[in-house]
Amino acid sequence: MKKSVYKSAMSRVKTSEDFKEATYQKFMLELEKTTHTTTMNEERVKMEKTSKRKLTGLTVGLAAAAILAVGVISINQNQSNPASTPTNQGQTAEATAKPPIMGKVAVNIDGVISEVSADGKSFKVGDLWVEVTDQTKLGSSEPTAEKPSEELLQKEFKVGNIVSGYTSQDVSTGKVTADVIYNNMAPQADSGEKPATTAKVQVNIDGVISEVSADGKSFKVNDVWVTVTPDTIMGIDGPTAAEPSDELLQKEFKVGNVVSGFTTEDLSTGKVNATRIYNNMIPQK
Amino acid sequence: MYNSYELNESVRRALDLYSQSMIKIAFAYLKNIADAEEVTQEVFLTYLQKRPVFENSEHEKAWLIRTTINKSKNMLKTGWFKSRNPVPENLSYLPKEENEVLQAVLSLDKKYRIPIHLHYYEGYSIQEIAVIMQAKSATVGTWLARGRVLLKDKIGGLEDEEICL
Repeated sequence: MKKSVYKSAMSRVKTSEDFKEATYQKFMLELEKTTHTTTMNEERVKMEKTSKRKLTGLTVGLAAAAILAVGVISINQNQSNPASTPTNQGQTAEATAKPPIMGKVAVNIDGVISEVSADGKSFKVGDLWVEVTDQTKLGSSEPTAEKPSEELLQKEFKVGNIVSGYTSQDVSTGKVTADVIYNNMAPQADSGEKPATTAKVQVNIDGVISEVSADGKSFKVNDVWVTVTPDTIMGIDGPTAAEPSDELLQKEFKVGNVVSGFTTEDLSTGKVNATRIYNNMIPQK
Repeated sequence: MYNSYELNESVRRALDLYSQSMIKIAFAYLKNIADAEEVTQEVFLTYLQKRPVFENSEHEKAWLIRTTINKSKNMLKTGWFKSRNPVPENLSYLPKEENEVLQAVLSLDKKYRIPIHLHYYEGYSIQEIAVIMQAKSATVGTWLARGRVLLKDKIGGLEDEEICL
């Protein structure tokens, strides 16, 4: 054997073309997961201590839940399909058709800020540069929405902050001006009034299915095997939750599907039963 | 220490420069590209979370390779990895000679094939491999020599090659 034969052979071994994109996507999901877990834990402790406190921010909270739900989709879609138009990003045809019923807001800017321009007026989320101008609305303008707190909508855009918003411009150009910024929050904000998180769904199963068991009842997401039992609740419930479509919550778990859900069991064991599955959908190409 | 921006940049740069090397090392270990890519992603995630500081780019690369090997080992130990019966990676698209050589190397015990990979693919010297694998130079030399003998039995050649300590 000559050295060059092995080197040449190994060089030719095919790897995924979208490895880098998939890795960035994984980073985003991990960051998102960490943020959600931290926020939810803080929120749970706070709620236990202040049980008398009413859910004053329910309306904004529901909007945040919608952002979260849409965000899960848009994170996956924005990365894999940057050429999509804003209207079809982060929303299925069904969601687009009935936003008022579902209470969803259109979100096609969603993620963690990786860069901020020198003047602080532009920031980068994923591969998209977003400019904030005087015309950009800050906060939700929905009739029932409450004014967001400073924690949820910070004035300064910083690297690491989690932002969500909307632009009517073509995101495939790589640079857009934001129409609305709904949230701009530090990833691990301390305690304080955070009404928007009170209605968030808890997600600790989140990612792309890499393996499915022979009986189709279990699947592997990241490093965890998740089993769906008869006790597993499918979809999102709640007074304003819409019935999940077949597209968002498919009956069959397949390799490559994007799933999100929740378990009360210890994830570190590597094998858990799902308490709830929110989504099980084919990633859009 | 890095700030977030610098860290993002260093991870991005490392991803550009070293991801293919890391995937190939993990592949040499796990014999499966999907698993190799998963391990490589885990390594970059660790990089992002632990924020190690490096003296230079060689130090950085060595850390990434070391971590890739460790995470590959960990994956091999997991119950689900042992219990499954994966389809062997399809390498039929490679030219015949290359396919034979690669299959021969992959069939070696991992203690031989990793030093062989690091030497023949990455071009590391025995001393450098010893540092990466946290082993003695003499031990690495023995692994390489034995690996070459085994390969010679399988595919011939190598008798005229020497690796200088």
